[in-house]
Amino acid sequence: MPVDLNLLIGGAAGQGVHAITLPLAKALMRQGYWVLGVQDYQSRIRGGHLFNKVRLADRRLFSSREGVDLLIALNQETVTLHQQELSPQGLIIYDAAEVKELPGDVPSLALSPKNLLPGAAEKAEIAVNARACGAVLGLLRVPLAPMLALLQETFGGKGAEVVEWNVQAATKGYEQAGALAGRFSMEQITPPPEPRLLINGHEAMALGALAGGLQFICGYPMTPWTSLLNAIALRAERYNVVVEQAEDEIAAINMAIGASYAGARALTGTSGGGFCLMTEALGLAAVTETPLVIVVSMRPGPSTGLPTRTEQGDLSFVLYASQGDSPRAVLAPGTPAQGFALTAKALNWADRYQLPVIILTDQYFGDTQFTHTPGEFPEVQVDRALTTGPSSGTYERYAYSADGVSPRRVPGFGPDLVVADSDEHTPDGHLTEDLAVRVKMHDKRLRKLKGLVQEMGGITTAGDPDAALTLICWGSSLGPVQEAVARLEGEKTPARMVHLSELWPFPAGPVAAALKGSKKLVMIEMNASGQLNHLLRQETGIKVDHLVLKYDGAPFTPEYILRGLSGMV
Amino acid sequence: MLPIELYEGLESAWCPGCGNFALLKAFKQALGELEIRPQDLLVVSGIGQSSKFPHYLKCHTFNGIHGRTLPVGTGVRLANPELKVVCVAGDGDCYGEGGNHLLAALRRNVDLTLVVHNNQIYALTKGQASPTTDQGQKTTLQPQGVPYPPLAALALAVSQNCSWVGRGSATDPGHLQDLYKQAITHRGFALLEVLQPCVSFNRVNTYQWYRERAYRVEESPGYDPENELWAYQKAKEWGESIPIGVIYRHPRPILEEAHPALAAGPLVRQQPKRDLNQLLADFF
Repeated sequence: MPVDLNLLIGGAAGQGVHAITLPLAKALMRQGYWVLGVQDYQSRIRGGHLFNKVRLADRRLFSSREGVDLLIALNQETVTLHQQELSPQGLIIYDAAEVKELPGDVPSLALSPKNLLPGAAEKAEIAVNARACGAVLGLLRVPLAPMLALLQETFGGKGAEVVEWNVQAATKGYEQAGALAGRFSMEQITPPPEPRLLINGHEAMALGALAGGLQFICGYPMTPWTSLLNAIALRAERYNVVVEQAEDEIAAINMAIGASYAGARALTGTSGGGFCLMTEALGLAAVTETPLVIVVSMRPGPSTGLPTRTEQGDLSFVLYASQGDSPRAVLAPGTPAQGFALTAKALNWADRYQLPVIILTDQYFGDTQFTHTPGEFPEVQVDRALTTGPSSGTYERYAYSADGVSPRRVPGFGPDLVVADSDEHTPDGHLTEDLAVRVKMHDKRLRKLKGLVQEMGGITTAGDPDAALTLICWGSSLGPVQEAVARLEGEKTPARMVHLSELWPFPAGPVAAALKGSKKLVMIEMNASGQLNHLLRQETGIKVDHLVLKYDGAPFTPEYILRGLSGMV
Repeated sequence: MLPIELYEGLESAWCPGCGNFALLKAFKQALGELEIRPQDLLVVSGIGQSSKFPHYLKCHTFNGIHGRTLPVGTGVRLANPELKVVCVAGDGDCYGEGGNHLLAALRRNVDLTLVVHNNQIYALTKGQASPTTDQGQKTTLQPQGVPYPPLAALALAVSQNCSWVGRGSATDPGHLQDLYKQAITHRGFALLEVLQPCVSFNRVNTYQWYRERAYRVEESPGYDPENELWAYQKAKEWGESIPIGVIYRHPRPILEEAHPALAAGPLVRQQPKRDLNQLLADFF
């Protein structure tokens, strides 16, 4: 019998929902489960309702799914809001001090912190979280020792006493769950021979950036982009990275351009509204041919929209943002491993083609924890494409060239002067109003895309290559679509996924080839207008048969996609 | 002493008689006296007549967009602390469009020089009020007169303990040349505002207007640029008399020192640590 369980841990902000989810998910991952953890939170510091979902299985997971098997409720609201999602085998573990009303027909387990650790409220709060973790492991008959080690790792910094409360509480919960144990027995799952990673999209991109030789990052905080900035800042000292918090997004991108002009590998990022502020300088990076990677982490708009939710609504925006025909590349990873590889690649492409490279992520991609193997994070190459040799004496920053790429020097390597200008300019970098030069220089800049598009591909396929039905998607929708395809195949409906992660300059040839032979094309996107659909039509003339769109701020689930296909399959 | 011909750039497109000519010449002379080679200097500019300044020089140049000289210059310094950086902006560019960056720069104390060419008007767009246009002055966009007072940028800088604050004038080029030298050699953020007559669009603040008012503050009794309260009073002085010279000096640690990654010199010369196994270990 395959194992596939969904845990939902819910409470008010400030109750420690996130604090317990990570150790729990990690303990389960170390034990050998494939774990996938999704965060759902509101834009507030305390109160409100937030929950995390942890799905665990004995096989690789690509997506979260609907339904709840184990509801861990730290407050009443969690029970009230989620009890209807409980599966027939479902069970509730709850904080008896907070939860008073339970559905009558669902087995439940009460955790009472007061009986365990009398005294300070703080102790009780910590205790109930750890106790819930212990109870979950007891229920699943997973050894407790790895969890106790993680509690030591997590709370060691707070002193031996805090660790001891947590260890006591987890042990008590583990014992208490004994009565119900066996309901979800998973004794047959053993730790993998090689350790796996539990990592979210933004953490993986931070690793890709650092492995790719990042030297400078600056940004202004904005959800959901901030988690990437934080993940790099946390490691900055170890990896010799300059991290500067900018006064606004306009400063962030201009500062990153300055650092890159001076030769540092530079990255900045933001989310929707912040990118609105960056667009003028996006053109500045393009016209001055300054390499730059910009991460745009999407959330639902327009304007402030739903700040802590997810969407893929900024593709059209980043494709065309900034005035004039302004060259850029646009990438959109689908998994943490892709995020790792594409971030390193983006740094290389930015340097090689001397233009801004935008990486689109979203809240779901950034915050969702995936289980990966270390082999999925291979060593990356660093290609700075800098000219640092002896001075030619006649250096021109924007020398005309067949591929549009001019030799790039930076200040500090001898007498060659590096003159960069936002005005239209002559090859030596000085402003000009010579209209013939304008055409020649503009052609030179745009010609770089012809070389870059030759390198573009980024197509991931899954399912039956000969299937009549093809589901097309991009960015973070990969997982849910891949699982939808697997489920269709399980129901004897051959289907195929074509996922795009390299979106601009659009790899029209490879995409058209990948879609060839399909009888029915369905575009699956997390936005209201079908933005990749427009792009596909524009670049290849291909017209899809059906669109499955979602823009309520919650991530795709395989079930949602399958419902969207009903009537077609 | 290096010859000023070394810094000869493109032929200028400024109006004949523009105050900028005096600034350009004094700047070149200051560079020559300081023996700063073109390859050791970056001039960052934005948009406006002042922002053409680096094109008329010979040095590393980054002519960016309106209002953003300071973030670009800051980014450069945080990547290469060996490069001498001078940001050149106008009153509209720096005090208007890029105001937030000035506030941040005053706090950061990056080791760069900000020169604000203050002609008290928007010249490139032909004569609208700038943040420093005097109250009541009639312009193309404010035919009834500017309804509010000008920004006292130097007083703002003193109030935030800017590490070096000074004012020069196109009407006193020898004095200006010395101020350039002091600002460029100052360790930390130096704000040098230069009174620069616009002969085409500002018929009020003319050469004569500035000549009648600007006086060398260091020659006046009680000169005390290390004294914050004295400096604040001098920075607020504007009208019948306008002090020029070093107004405030307040040495403090520079931002570059706060970034350990810069201790080993320019980032471009460093070999990044890229230990993948160590990176992955956090997630097992």
